Amino acid sequence: MAHDGDALQYVQYHGAKEETYLPAIRQLISKDLSEPYSIYVYRYFLYQWGDLCYMALDSANELIGVVVCKLEPHRSGPCRGYIAMLAVRESHRGQGIATKLVCMAIDAMAARDADEIVLETEVTNQASLKLYERLGFLRSKRLHRYYLNGNAAFRLVLYMKEGTALKRPPVVDGQDGQMMGGLQKMEEYKGFAQDAEVT
Amino acid sequence: MADPALLYHDATASDADTLTASNGTGPAFASAESSRFAQTSLPLRQAPRRGAPPHIRDVTEKFTAACQALDVGQLVKDEYFTLFESIGAIEIMDPKMDSGFLQPGETLEDDFDPLAPLLPEELIGIMDQLLSYEMAWHTGYPLSQTLFTSVYIDRLLWPEPESIPQAQFYRDDILDDKRPGTLLDVLRAYCLALIKGCDYVIAKIMARDYFEEEDFSTHTYNRVLFVQAPIDVFLRELDASVEMIEDPDLQIDGGIRSAIVARLHFRKTFLCALDPECPLEILSSFWPPVVPFIDQVNDTHILGKTVPGSFSTKIQRRLASTVPPRPIVQVEFKDALQTLKQLCIDCKEATRFKDLPTDPLEYQSFLWTFASRQPAPLTYSRSYLSNILFDPYVLNAPVSLPLEDVQSFVFHESPILDPSNWALSPPRNPLMPKSPRLQFALLIDEFVERVGQSYLDLWVALGQNKCRLRRMLTHVIIAWDMLQQDAVFVDADLIAYALQLTISEEVMDGPLQTWVYIKKLWMIEKVVVLGFEQDIYLPDEYAGIYYFLSLMATKRKDALKRCVEHTNDRTVQFLQSSRFEDAQNTSEKISFIDSELQQATGISAFAKALHGIYTIANYLRLLPSPNRPFSTESLRYELRMKPFLSLQPPEVPPFEEFQAAVQPYGTYSDPSPSLHDDLRQADCKVWSDIDTSLKNAKDAFAKVKKYGAKESKAGGVEQAWNKEIQGMLASCIALGVTVAGLKSAVKDIEPGSKVQVKIEIPPAGASKRYVEGWIVPKIVKG
Repeated sequence: MAHDGDALQYVQYHGAKEETYLPAIRQLISKDLSEPYSIYVYRYFLYQWGDLCYMALDSANELIGVVVCKLEPHRSGPCRGYIAMLAVRESHRGQGIATKLVCMAIDAMAARDADEIVLETEVTNQASLKLYERLGFLRSKRLHRYYLNGNAAFRLVLYMKEGTALKRPPVVDGQDGQMMGGLQKMEEYKGFAQDAEVT
Repeated sequence: MADPALLYHDATASDADTLTASNGTGPAFASAESSRFAQTSLPLRQAPRRGAPPHIRDVTEKFTAACQALDVGQLVKDEYFTLFESIGAIEIMDPKMDSGFLQPGETLEDDFDPLAPLLPEELIGIMDQLLSYEMAWHTGYPLSQTLFTSVYIDRLLWPEPESIPQAQFYRDDILDDKRPGTLLDVLRAYCLALIKGCDYVIAKIMARDYFEEEDFSTHTYNRVLFVQAPIDVFLRELDASVEMIEDPDLQIDGGIRSAIVARLHFRKTFLCALDPECPLEILSSFWPPVVPFIDQVNDTHILGKTVPGSFSTKIQRRLASTVPPRPIVQVEFKDALQTLKQLCIDCKEATRFKDLPTDPLEYQSFLWTFASRQPAPLTYSRSYLSNILFDPYVLNAPVSLPLEDVQSFVFHESPILDPSNWALSPPRNPLMPKSPRLQFALLIDEFVERVGQSYLDLWVALGQNKCRLRRMLTHVIIAWDMLQQDAVFVDADLIAYALQLTISEEVMDGPLQTWVYIKKLWMIEKVVVLGFEQDIYLPDEYAGIYYFLSLMATKRKDALKRCVEHTNDRTVQFLQSSRFEDAQNTSEKISFIDSELQQATGISAFAKALHGIYTIANYLRLLPSPNRPFSTESLRYELRMKPFLSLQPPEVPPFEEFQAAVQPYGTYSDPSPSLHDDLRQADCKVWSDIDTSLKNAKDAFAKVKKYGAKESKAGGVEQAWNKEIQGMLASCIALGVTVAGLKSAVKDIEPGSKVQVKIEIPPAGASKRYVEGWIVPKIVKG
């Protein structure tokens, strides 16, 4: 193959680059999806956590791969990073680009004090499972009929800090932690596609 | 690559992972209902005030001007705009998102005429297609992508008819020459019964805990599925149709005639079986009649001719949903029939529940076995069983079910449960102390009341799909943990009153807490075993997880041992005081507890043997072990133990202890030199520990098998129970073979040399394991 992973440039996304990169990001991510995400989904992430988005660009500045994440306190207490989208152009898979992007995202989330990082992936997506499990993720749950196609997912989790399991949300306005129960439900949504390179 | 699986606004949470189910009704006899349903803590938008007249103002210009003040990429987002909402958002004029978008030349409606005459073959084809979609719906797809794509169904339901006679493929007046013929009338009857069946299915599922989307989609998009009409109406229509088809004047091929009749009969028997009003006593008689018709439908499917035009995704545009049109779910007819058959079999099986002896432990065995059926029972079948379980007839048993459970373990002919305690009246003067025996009754009543919700939660969990079951159990365990702490206080009171009566030797030490603890540990073990079954653990984790499982089972074993000892003590006490009948009754109860004890012994020993063999496999680098640059052993241990970290007494050993158990020779990459010396000697401790454990496991499981299903309070599921215990014994034998193979492979091993065998891990869910939750590795030539 003519492509050389080393020739790629890995850059952090920035809101000022939306016009340049968002169309390409959307195209790359939605390529493997039966239904596209609306632009609001991308902006939801990129506007709030653009610095947790990394892109692999070739010498012609074409987008080859991208990872999109978010990071915020989870209702259960810990500061939770979430890898929402990961995609690498098919012609460039198998070169460690996805791994590199994920590593950069993890480093960035670690620098911002993430307690844990989570994501979902289809139980049959061996490439994706391998990628994350090599880095240290464990499967924590199996989610029945998680995807629209009826397939199940694994929740993958990586703890970044000791004591994460016992973190509890701060008590606000006399409410106890259990009152926070509804938040996840509101926030909950079916997962995003996890693209990964074939190893 | 997966679908994005994002859902638009009619989605519900799939993984709130609380005990909150989406129906909002909860179990029938729980009192503290409201607390089970988490309240949202998000600030909510103010709803527009009612009553004010609509005030319409054109804001286009303002909006356009405001937009121009924004840079591309700048987002206006208030506090309330969550990710969930961003996913629900659509883009106008994007054909994949905008349900009103028409491609050039595309029409909004289909031009299929549902009044056009049908061929008999086409009638069969449409009926079979409808049946396929009905089953697709049962497996979890929404009506919008299945049955509601039928033009016929759409016509019957919309505009909403005021009565069944009005539910036609047309509305209002019609010219006589357009009036539908016999075959269309028959199709109508079939569709009506099908729709009513869907109504029944939704009613049954929504009466119990289920999870929208994950399990089943109850959404009917503002269509009313003849909720008010009674079953007779539909049965009459079907009967009339059978008559019409059987009319000798109807010119129709004989084979096709009977194929159509079979479909009508199927529809009739199926609708009767789905009827939620079926009395409990005769439930089981409704399912067997359905099956022969399914077979006839299957045999005559080939006679049918499809009418693809009668199904269209365009109908979705008119359904009350923001979801853009999605493709029709394609299901093979033979798969659909298989699903249908399984549904009938599972429901028939569920009806056996009502014949169980009134014993909550028999119930528990039945629920567990039902949840473990392969293929996994559909949501309807699970709801069907739950509806039987939560039927007042079952729940309002003359005995307290939780107390019955307690009694099976800890109170045998106990003075604490003496019925006369409940006959005592409190002293007239409330300042006077109550008699200790009355106190027993009050304490037990209070405890039983306290147990109720946690007990039900366990049953509710057992009614879920297995992924959900595993996660829900971790929550149920926490509730039982709190229960255990409360039980400690009740026990202290019980013993204090027993001391007053000088009968303390007749009361077991900490009876209630022991009972709760046994149940709690059982649940912990189940969570771990389900983890293996669901492929949650990676091979290099097996050693540590089986180690933990063995620890939990050992603790349960110890608790059960105390129950056995107490029961033995009681028998002796009765014999000494010549209470022979009580002695007899008490000693008979021992079989169950001892069977449980042997079961726990077997699990603990077998898990220990697996811990041993996987530890060796880790040292020999026979299992894949990722290098995990972002993680450490202690972080992974913490993650794994998360569900159990808060439990009291502490169940999770400190990391150092865990590490010593799974790395007895130091790190896997640089083990102590004694490792290889030890491995070479087949009689060294590292091997003999495994051999002993394996032998203990075999002995224990053999004893359990000898007790049999009935003594083990699984008489209602004897076949499955036998299969499981047989599977455990077979697993022990298989592990023996593996141990022997590995021993011989390392008999000359030197540090640094590579062992010439490989380990094969039988995959989950492929019938390659004797028992799904027990992974016995295989040794193959390297």
